[in-house]
Amino acid sequence: MTLDGGRLNFGFDRFSGLYLWALFIIVFGILKPSTFLTLDTAHSVASQQAISAMLGLALIVPLAAGVYDLSIGATANLAAVTAAWLQTNHGMPILPAIAISILAGVAIGIVNGFVTVVLGVNPFIATLGMATIVSAVQNIVSGQEQPLPPTAPFWSKLTQHQVFGFQIVVLYLVVLAVILWWVLDHTPAGRYLYAVGGNSDAARLSGVRTQRWVWLSLIASGGVSALAGVLFCSLSGPSLTFGPALLLPAFAAAFLGSTQLKPGRFNVWGTLLAVYILATGVRGMELLTSVSWLNDMFNGVALIAAVAFAVWRQDRVRHPRFGDAAPDDTAPGHGDPGSGEPSLAASPRTDPGASS
Amino acid sequence: MGLAKSFAAVRALVDFDLGIAAGEVHAVLGENGSGKSTLIKLLSGFHQPDAGRVELDGARLDLGSTTGAYDMGCRFVHQDLGLIGSLSIVDNLGLSTGFPTRLATVRDRDARRQAGEDLRKVGLDLDPRMLVDRLSPAQRTGVAVARAMREDPAAPEKVLVLDEPTATLPAHEVDHLLRMVKRAANNGVAVLYVSHRLDEVFRIADNVTVLRDGVKLTTTPVEGLDRRELVNLMIGAESELPEARVGPSAAAAGPPVLKVTGLSSGPLEDVAFAAASGEIVGIAGITGSGRDLLLGAVFGKRARDSGTVEIGGVDIPSRRPDRAIANGVAYLPADRLQDSGVMTMTARENITLADLKPFQRAGSLSRRRERKEAGRLFRELSVRPRDAVEQTLETFSGGNQQKVLFGKWLRLRPSVFLLDEPTQGVDVGARASLHQLLVSAAAEGMAVVISSSDVDELAFVCHRVLIMQEGRIAHELAGDGVSVAGISRGTLGTSEGGSSNDA
Repeated sequence: MTLDGGRLNFGFDRFSGLYLWALFIIVFGILKPSTFLTLDTAHSVASQQAISAMLGLALIVPLAAGVYDLSIGATANLAAVTAAWLQTNHGMPILPAIAISILAGVAIGIVNGFVTVVLGVNPFIATLGMATIVSAVQNIVSGQEQPLPPTAPFWSKLTQHQVFGFQIVVLYLVVLAVILWWVLDHTPAGRYLYAVGGNSDAARLSGVRTQRWVWLSLIASGGVSALAGVLFCSLSGPSLTFGPALLLPAFAAAFLGSTQLKPGRFNVWGTLLAVYILATGVRGMELLTSVSWLNDMFNGVALIAAVAFAVWRQDRVRHPRFGDAAPDDTAPGHGDPGSGEPSLAASPRTDPGASS
Repeated sequence: MGLAKSFAAVRALVDFDLGIAAGEVHAVLGENGSGKSTLIKLLSGFHQPDAGRVELDGARLDLGSTTGAYDMGCRFVHQDLGLIGSLSIVDNLGLSTGFPTRLATVRDRDARRQAGEDLRKVGLDLDPRMLVDRLSPAQRTGVAVARAMREDPAAPEKVLVLDEPTATLPAHEVDHLLRMVKRAANNGVAVLYVSHRLDEVFRIADNVTVLRDGVKLTTTPVEGLDRRELVNLMIGAESELPEARVGPSAAAAGPPVLKVTGLSSGPLEDVAFAAASGEIVGIAGITGSGRDLLLGAVFGKRARDSGTVEIGGVDIPSRRPDRAIANGVAYLPADRLQDSGVMTMTARENITLADLKPFQRAGSLSRRRERKEAGRLFRELSVRPRDAVEQTLETFSGGNQQKVLFGKWLRLRPSVFLLDEPTQGVDVGARASLHQLLVSAAAEGMAVVISSSDVDELAFVCHRVLIMQEGRIAHELAGDGVSVAGISRGTLGTSEGGSSNDA
């Protein structure tokens, strides 16, 4: 991904994604000027990726607190199917249907939190199990048959209405991103989440209610991913299988994003940047070669490369510190703010509770 | 058989040499930080010496390799035992000495039978299939000893090294352990026995070597040695008292702010103490005395089984650091990396974490105000690098990290400040300024409680020192009684009548 990135200097490290994005646009623009370098491409990539991006954003909330949520894909899918099913099969109006679907996501988050915090199950396992349970629930709701898309004209306008050439779902994404950015970067809640993710014991001993924040972060990811699912349904119809397929891209975006802009931290703008870098690369390659496996390949490689990069960075920052004999008042040579990496990069964290 | 070693590890251990004969029990005594652990880590291959060598039966021991030490016949019972809790006893024993196999398959029944025998040899009647996690601390020590004493025809035991093996043992098991050690020595094994407890040394050792500040002071036969003489040797003569004490000799103590009654938690039993505003109270004790657990239990880091903690009359529930903080308690844990600092966050974020309210406006945090406050503390505590408030904590040196974390708590102006090992791993300059900070904080009316393994530190700043033994507060020193010698004698159980090893 950014193999030659970090070594040169700090700016290049932190913004390597932007350079890469620019590189993609230039290269593909030169190779395929007539198809790639068009406003249409920009518009379609933007809205196609909006749902992925929302799931990525849903994911960084628990990741900030050091907790994996593997159920976001299934949750989004359940919300999409529920929203369609309530309207088509039960004639429910749009708004209550949306509200119930999102509440279902919130409820999943509550259960995830309960299993993680109260039962002390490792969140990786808890949410992995939950993902499967949610898929089963979806089968119960849908009877394994794709519900018909709601017919009300407003339903599709909800996401497909055009604003400045973009579908309005892109605007929703921006609004969601601004809200999450504010919460994570500018409120005590965000600070507590990052503190729990950075060192749960130290956070607890600083008076942070770590378990509460872990729980809330899972509720947030459940709610946001349900919202993303509902919007997907309006955009592309109530597919029965789209959710789990979006899980890996969300992780790829979140981890790649954590190496960008604010390296070492899962952050909103880095995640969005990552989503669109990957999408641009995929779109360009598709136009160039027209093979179908590129998307998966790209996301898989990006996830591994991003985490490997993060681990490598972390080693680079941490290593000098072990020679602790360094005189006390010399500035550490590697002046690199926002360094270390969430513990996630190496291993899933364990239960935030019981320590002796 | 002879054993000689000379290292020159900077400060930790200087030009150390020692010979142990086969069948000899050789005790190594010294206070915390005197270099005992360094010695053992060198022998076991954990650290590489800067210089020097170890010979065993004339053959040179390959230092810096744990398997090398094992193959030459060295066995260790480390202070932390080095067992894997999630594995069974059989597996723990087998990991070092190998499993009986046939066709590359472990023969479970044989392994179990053999493990059972090994356990019985050290007087443990346990099912070898039990997980080590399920064992009591004393049983775990037993397993570690059984592992060290296990016979391995491929590498017969020649040297047995035990590092504070009795720290977690009740009195009658100590007897048993000492008998086993003696038996090993009678079988021709050279034993190196490291302990804080003088009476054990008198009971089993033939010779004793005393270490202080990484320097070997003497090696003498135990016979004819006087207990008091030995203590004086360990802690240094009275004349070597450090600089004058910082604190006023008698606290202008106000009303008690912190009141702990009947506190029990794990090894802690029925601990009661109080601290008054303006007072600096020290907690001393050897490894295993519960010293390192007490303040965590008071603050709410560890669960309390019983007992109450009151701050200014308000009850603080167990395991609720947030409530303790809200009521004016601050707690600086010993382990910076694990419990104290969020290394991946900036110094500013660490400083403000415990209370974000002052920086909040309409739900948003004002980074500008946070930065101002962090900058103020950086200047006040002279943290280096200067004004690096936006650097992550991990980029600072140990001493400066500790200053930042001091600042984090001082900012709250707590009424009670609890500190575990406040200057561990901190260089001399930073140490002095941290002490100065505590003294002036107390002068302004804070109640300060310091738990430390560093006797000099306690003698230097405390008005009162509570000495812990076996989970209880055994003695209290106040006024002129607070001295390096007084504290050391107290922790070693030789102050009042010297009879403190009763069960």
